[in-house]
Amino acid sequence: MAAPGSGLRLPAGEGGGSAAASSLSMERIRSLTDLPELEAAYSRLCGEEKGVEEELEALLEQQSTIESKMVTLHRLGPNLQLIEGDARQLSGMITFTCNLAENVSSKVRQLDLAKNRLYQAIQRADDILDLKFCMDGVQTALRNEDYEQAAAHIHRYLSLDKSVIELSRQGQEGSIIDANLKLLQEAEQRLKIIVTEKFDVATKQGDLPQVERFFKIFPLLGLHEEGLSKFSEYLCKQVANKAKENLLLVMETDMSDRRAAVIFADTLTLLFEGIARIVETHQPIVETYYGPGKLYTLIKHLQVECDRQVEKVVDTFIKQRDYHRQFQHVQNSIVRSSATEKIEPRELDPILTEVTLMNARSELYLRFIKRRIVSDFEVGDSMASEEVKQAHQKSLDKLLNNCLLSRTMQELIGCYITMEEYFMRETVNKAVAMDMCEKGQLTSSMVDDVFYIVKKCIGRALSSSSIDCLCAMINHSTTELESDFREVLCTKLKLGFPATTFQDIQRGVTSAVNIMHSSLQQGKFDTKGIESTDEAKQSFLVTLNNVEVCSENIMTLKKTLESDCAKLLSQGFGGEQAEAKIDSCLADMAAVSNKFRDLLQEGLSELNSTAVKPQVKPWINLFLSVSHNIEEEEFNDYEANDPWVQQFIINLEQQMAEFKAGLSPVIYDSLSSLTTSLIAIELEKVVLKSTFSRLGGLQFDKELRSLIAYLTTVTTWTIRDKFARLSQMATILNLERVTEILDYWGPNSGPLTWRLTPAEVRQVLALRIDFRSEDIKRLRL
Amino acid sequence: MRASNSSPLIALYYLQWYTPEACLQFKDHFHALVRSACQQRNTGTVGLKISKVVVVGDLYVGKTSLINRFCKDIFDRDYKATIGVDFEIERFEIAGVPYNLQIWDTAGQEKFKCIASAYYRGAEVIITVFDLADIQTLEHTKQWLEDALRENEPGSSFIFLVGTKKDLVSGAACERTELDAIRFANEMQAEYWSVSAKTGENVKEFFSRVAALAFEQSMLKELEKSNGRMAQIGAGNLIRNSPETPESNSQASLNCC
Repeated sequence: MAAPGSGLRLPAGEGGGSAAASSLSMERIRSLTDLPELEAAYSRLCGEEKGVEEELEALLEQQSTIESKMVTLHRLGPNLQLIEGDARQLSGMITFTCNLAENVSSKVRQLDLAKNRLYQAIQRADDILDLKFCMDGVQTALRNEDYEQAAAHIHRYLSLDKSVIELSRQGQEGSIIDANLKLLQEAEQRLKIIVTEKFDVATKQGDLPQVERFFKIFPLLGLHEEGLSKFSEYLCKQVANKAKENLLLVMETDMSDRRAAVIFADTLTLLFEGIARIVETHQPIVETYYGPGKLYTLIKHLQVECDRQVEKVVDTFIKQRDYHRQFQHVQNSIVRSSATEKIEPRELDPILTEVTLMNARSELYLRFIKRRIVSDFEVGDSMASEEVKQAHQKSLDKLLNNCLLSRTMQELIGCYITMEEYFMRETVNKAVAMDMCEKGQLTSSMVDDVFYIVKKCIGRALSSSSIDCLCAMINHSTTELESDFREVLCTKLKLGFPATTFQDIQRGVTSAVNIMHSSLQQGKFDTKGIESTDEAKQSFLVTLNNVEVCSENIMTLKKTLESDCAKLLSQGFGGEQAEAKIDSCLADMAAVSNKFRDLLQEGLSELNSTAVKPQVKPWINLFLSVSHNIEEEEFNDYEANDPWVQQFIINLEQQMAEFKAGLSPVIYDSLSSLTTSLIAIELEKVVLKSTFSRLGGLQFDKELRSLIAYLTTVTTWTIRDKFARLSQMATILNLERVTEILDYWGPNSGPLTWRLTPAEVRQVLALRIDFRSEDIKRLRL
Repeated sequence: MRASNSSPLIALYYLQWYTPEACLQFKDHFHALVRSACQQRNTGTVGLKISKVVVVGDLYVGKTSLINRFCKDIFDRDYKATIGVDFEIERFEIAGVPYNLQIWDTAGQEKFKCIASAYYRGAEVIITVFDLADIQTLEHTKQWLEDALRENEPGSSFIFLVGTKKDLVSGAACERTELDAIRFANEMQAEYWSVSAKTGENVKEFFSRVAALAFEQSMLKELEKSNGRMAQIGAGNLIRNSPETPESNSQASLNCC
């Protein structure tokens, strides 16, 4: 018992397993005296023994497998020795092969080097031969005046590697080559001088083939810049000559000539077309002989001459057409606005057209140049870095924006805007002053005239192809329409619509005073005065129509301009933000349309309250004089002789007919809608003041139905909505008993939506004299 | 507050003014009506709100640079004169409401005055710019403002006076010029700012302030219009007398930012 106990101790202690094993040391067992304790220790030890036995058995079971594995391992031993030997052999072989390969490759490398050197040697020999050939060739070519050939030789020489020349000097024939080189350099210098001279001579003689011949030689000699500048000098001279001729022609042009009004625009066009043609014809030569990306230099030179010529043309234009004086005159007119010194707007018309045409031509030309240079740069810069591209872009922008042509046009357009605005304002004023309304016309002449003028002015600004100029004119037009023209219509509406009842005389006097006042204040507008109320009425209605048409015209104008601008933009005019600019300005313009709409509403409600209401109200009040507290007999009598509604309808029809004739359908619709609302409200008031019997209710229901039926025929909008409350009142007044209302109320209402509050329902019920108030009070609504 | 960094900074408070001696408003909160409207997303049926800003001033004071620094965060040393008018749209989101500033950059050169002046109309904000290093340009701002105001209804636009190129002047010189500028600003009823487009100093803050004021104004106008349409019975009047307005007036500088 002791042996297993001590044997167990170690593993148990190590594994930190059962605490019992370690606690049961021999000493502890020996010290046990108590029987139960002894028994407990014993049973625990027995348990442990069993466990150990199981473990041992498991280990023994594994013995056979382990043994068989050992056997296999023993068998493997000799094989492994064999493998080791093989591996060693293999490694030896690989090392050998490797060495071999390295040997071979070093030889190959040597061969390659040799080959390269050979090539270089051949190349150099070729170069030296070339050099020699060049030396000989140049001499002969020069002697034969075959400058292309000579230049080609020099070009070959210049493209040779400098080191080759250095090396060839070191050879045995160094001194000869040295001498030859010297000759060659001399020949180069001579050729340069000759070409320059010949070119100058050809330029002077205007011999285009010769000019082009020597122009092609410059790049061969490495004189790209010089060639381009000399060539453009020649081209500039041609441009200048042509321009001078054209300008002389202008001075001689008869004022009766068909194109006399736009002769300066035509001259500019000729100038631009000339330059464009030059660019067009010479671009291929430049591209072929000077390489891509050189067009910019050529055009830069040409632009200087272009600017010079433009300046001349514009100066003559300003002098001949008195442009600046006219501008001054306009400015003075704006400031002083005294009628005597005012410049007649019609006089400005031709000059404004010409300026916009001039600007349009310039924009077209600048766009042409831009497109050419950009595409040329694109070819030239296809491999270049981003920085180079940006530098090129910048220099192009600078050329286009800073050239005198741009600046001159900007100045002209600046003056143009002011003059165009003046033209528009004055012509609009004139159109307003000459306003006429023909009989049978809904609108008066000024609306058409004003929009014709505005459209013309914006159209002219558009034709300048300058987005800024266009937007500026759109803004001016918006201001003109919104403040000045709207003010005119507003003043007319303020005169009011004269009523035809006894207030006539009263109103007639006040409106006459008003007219006097306004015509005194404004001076220019509305001097005719209004003789009779009839005319005053007519004038008010026409103005209402005018306002409506204005609002619509503005939207039409906006749409037209949108499509026009889209066309302009699609042609590539304007910068990156051009579209947003135009959109913004057009949106401002569209907003003015709403202002006119507001004005129309104001005018309509004025008409409704001053003209319609005073008439309709007494007619409706007649309802009160017709008793609805009736018996069978009276009801039948009413059937035969309608007491109220027929007459009301006839009166209404007569009155509305007057408006229908004088107003556009849209406004008439709005007015009848307003009138209908008015009738509904007023009728409700009188109904609540009346009393009804059962038959009276029926009578009212009949009357209401015929009224609604009539109004439905004369209005395009549904009016049932407006009469919903009245119809519900009629329903209530038609009830048999008070409690019958519950069949229609609350959960029983079905599709009917009650527009009357419970309190109102009670109020209406109380109108029936046969309903007892206790019954009504008892209702639970 | 720019849509790009998407934090609705202006949401509930104003960005601060530059100097209390020349500033348009001392409040540090939006008008209560505007705030509640923004929170309820009750910002009217009109889709996007746009305010028009017009920038005027002498040539070479840095109008374009100022705008480019704000809109594109770039600064170009080379001077390139503006031709006619340039135009930028900057998108904001204020208090969750998308909002655009339409900035019209006008040319300072005399020859473009006729074109540029056609663009002054309907400006919610007029920014008059001068060069802190060139006192004459400050004197010209009055003329520029007068021209711009002529095309607008009186009292309909916010006016800002901005001194540029702050990096070019020393502290003392700057302070001296600022004193003059503040005097000008008070006469013009404008708010004054000193900025530098080159270093970017105050540029963002300035435009944020412009956007906040313009936004509030246009919202108020919108709300007024819709209230008028519905014929409300003075629903807003109760809030208008809330005690926070006088309080924030006195403590504004503490509360802000």
